Amino acid sequence: MGASQREPRDLAGLVGGPLPESIENLPDEHKRVLAEALREARRRQARALSEASEKSLSHVPFLLRGAVRKAAGL
Amino acid sequence: MSGALARLAAQAEVLKLARVLGAPPERFAFLLDVPPDDIRALRHQATDVLFDSNLDALRRMAAASRLLPAAVLAVMTEKAFGPLLSARMAGLVDTARAVDIASRLSPGFLADVAAELDPRRAAGVIAGMPPASVTEVTRELQRREDWITLARFVDHVPEETALTGLAELHDAALLRVGFVLDDAGRAATVFERLPEHRYPRLVLAADEHDLWAMMFGLHLRLHEPVRLRFADAAASLEPAARARAAERGRDLGVLDDLGPLRAALLA
Repeated sequence: MGASQREPRDLAGLVGGPLPESIENLPDEHKRVLAEALREARRRQARALSEASEKSLSHVPFLLRGAVRKAAGL
Repeated sequence: MSGALARLAAQAEVLKLARVLGAPPERFAFLLDVPPDDIRALRHQATDVLFDSNLDALRRMAAASRLLPAAVLAVMTEKAFGPLLSARMAGLVDTARAVDIASRLSPGFLADVAAELDPRRAAGVIAGMPPASVTEVTRELQRREDWITLARFVDHVPEETALTGLAELHDAALLRVGFVLDDAGRAATVFERLPEHRYPRLVLAADEHDLWAMMFGLHLRLHEPVRLRFADAAASLEPAARARAAERGRDLGVLDDLGPLRAALLA
């Protein structure tokens, strides 16, 4: 997927700005651990959002489902 | 801050960062020697990344929620959205409506949401919660020993809301929460407004639960009048308890920074 190929690999790129000095000075392997943990958290959140979108529609009264689907962009 | 206290503060910051990232704290043990302020700054950066991810989709869901009655949304919130998404959406829904929905949720679920929430982004909702709900959620978080979530709320909610919550905490819990507060100014203010009878109890709790390190870390952030109240309270401790506290202060390298509390412990 193009979007994931464009995702920054390094921690500073992921947070979109300069890191605090002592974090910047950590060994690369430690910065990689932090970057991977942040990427995992983002993936988990995206997955939860996708699952909840589908699941939530089943709780919407039938007559409103079309309008809600449209407003939510589902 | 002495080296020992800085390491304690770093431990607290690692726990907070791990919470944000949904990962076990041991994974970030290499951060324990990093200045706590820098770990905190990284946590704020990570929080912003997560809350800004999927923002368009979350905004569309928040917009769609306007079509539904609050009672239906409350059911959807607990059964479909879950705590993580509810926390992400809390700041995107109209405040009055969010408060209406939140008032219909169980304290247990609200405590789950609270653990995932960024109080900076949902300040209006939290401020609008009835005191009875704040009290119930605080009790639940205390039962879970979730000091980090409690501290994040004390840091960011209106002062009166914070004091309502703090009144529910037992003394050892109050020390633990006080120690992990981010905002030194807020720590100073809320501890200044505690009822007079809590200071002797907090000092006793520090001794009974071996929380002197947290007491000292907190003490160093307080204003002089509050420090004097703690010193007065410590002066009434048994001599053996004062000796234990002084020894702990020496071990941590902070005894000489404690001002009137040091004098009370050594008297």
